[in-house]
Amino acid sequence: MAVEAVVMGTVPVVTAEHVSKWYGQVIGLNDVSVSVPPGVTGLLGPNGAGKSTFMKLITGQLRPSKGDVKVLGEPIWRNPHLYFQIGFCPEQDAFYDRMTGLEWVRALVRLNGLTEKEADEAARRALAAVDLMEAAGKKIGAYSKGMRQRVKMAQALVHDPQLLILDEPLAGMDPIGRRKTIRLIRDWGRAGKSIIVSSHILHEIESMTSNILLINNGRILAEGDVHQIRDLIDEHPHTVYVRAEDPRRVARQFLDDTTDDVRSLRFEPGAVVVETGRPDAFYARLTDMAASGEFGAIDEVTSPDDNLQAVFQYLVK
Amino acid sequence: MRVFDLSVSEMLWSRRTIFMALVVGAPVLIALFLRMLDAFGAPVFRVNNAMMAGPAIFGLMIWVFYLRFTVPVLGVFYGTSLIADEVEDKTITYLFTRPIPKGAVLMGKYFAYLACTLFVVLPSVVIVYLSIVPMRGNLGASFLDLLKDLGLLAIGLAVYGAVFAFIGARFKRPLLVGLIFIFGWEQAALAFPGYLKKFTVAYYLQAMVPHAMPNDSVVSLIQGVFRESPSLVESLVWLAAILFVFLCAAAASVERKEYILEQ
Repeated sequence: MAVEAVVMGTVPVVTAEHVSKWYGQVIGLNDVSVSVPPGVTGLLGPNGAGKSTFMKLITGQLRPSKGDVKVLGEPIWRNPHLYFQIGFCPEQDAFYDRMTGLEWVRALVRLNGLTEKEADEAARRALAAVDLMEAAGKKIGAYSKGMRQRVKMAQALVHDPQLLILDEPLAGMDPIGRRKTIRLIRDWGRAGKSIIVSSHILHEIESMTSNILLINNGRILAEGDVHQIRDLIDEHPHTVYVRAEDPRRVARQFLDDTTDDVRSLRFEPGAVVVETGRPDAFYARLTDMAASGEFGAIDEVTSPDDNLQAVFQYLVK
Repeated sequence: MRVFDLSVSEMLWSRRTIFMALVVGAPVLIALFLRMLDAFGAPVFRVNNAMMAGPAIFGLMIWVFYLRFTVPVLGVFYGTSLIADEVEDKTITYLFTRPIPKGAVLMGKYFAYLACTLFVVLPSVVIVYLSIVPMRGNLGASFLDLLKDLGLLAIGLAVYGAVFAFIGARFKRPLLVGLIFIFGWEQAALAFPGYLKKFTVAYYLQAMVPHAMPNDSVVSLIQGVFRESPSLVESLVWLAAILFVFLCAAAASVERKEYILEQ
């Protein structure tokens, strides 16, 4: 009944009431009360802010030390039936490496009660949705970081859940993979699915949704429109780590361009670290560079969370 | 059943398989070596100027290699790791966010453990039997004992697996606790007269062995002196009860436990 109401869009997909979570003496989440509406919601916060704890509580992996967590209108802890409606893509890069992508996704969706044939069809659909069908027969151990992220997404959406919970789904992806994944998430949102996606990079979240939850030090600092937060972050330089086949060539292009979005750069082994004052323009340019293929392979793009930490310090002053 | 499917190949190709191959491979190699020596006329197992017959050597190997070592050791190494391996590899999340009770995950993995160990241990016993028993013995005459041995070892793997599944689900250092249980508690309890031995698995398991107990060490000599055997029916009932209670307790424990993966 509650799940139907959520599907109709009348009930929040997640509600937390005075939820706290302690790990011994360490507090992971501190008296959080929040309602997540249907649609795409971004959970934004630096590492250690409590994002993962929140994600684990709303996926029923942890039990709140205090308070109540309800997902799709029902308590999630020890309620496995709810997982028919929930798909979870965890942050950790962990797999059964000896299995192929297809075998793995198929085996997992079998746990949802599908027959062998149904599971095979569903797994193929999910892998096609994340653009991984070509590598479906390869062992996961041989996948690149971006492919591993995508196969994790595939196992999350393979049973066509109503609510997708994605923990840092873009971490370590190459620019093209990021763009595709962002587009996928937006499409799913438009198709009526509810998605909670975490990240420590504001620009990632902003490209998927304008509805955010801002979390820091185990507390929800703000919820609502991302654009107000964005104005603040633009005042702070944003650091991007780009791992590439030829970092010097990539760096040269960054400096040659007239967009004036790079403030400084430095080299690390196999990578260039860029400080930008205009992250949107920079990310767009980086994606175009990767797509053109003229600058060698751009393997990984990550952003340390110290950018966001600076904004949070600013916000909580 | 689906967790079983998912787990069985992972378990067979896990790091522990090398260990299992060593544990069950050793008696096979020893048996083949003894058979070779015997074929060359070497005086293998001569006691009081009489050569030991193959069935007696086989019985000795069942006691020493399988019952006292292989079965409890495989039980402890696999049983305690049913969930722990998935936690360590951080893959448990994928199983615990599917619409099946966590207890069912443990059950599926337990049956995968049982299938894997039976698949490896029982053929090893058959090879040892075929290698050793024909030495001054008769394969046909000892066949019933072989069947009893196979059944006994299967029950042992099932019961030890259930006990250690519970220890794995409940304790922080399950391997250590498990090793203390088999090499500390069980050995000590069996060596003392009184009721303590009734709180071991070995007490009921050893009562069903069709071969004479060897006195190959001081501990086993003492255990032999104070040995008292429950009836076959009593042993089976108690082993079934231990299996059921510990498996249910393990499933209940996993059901309630939070698994916090290290970041």
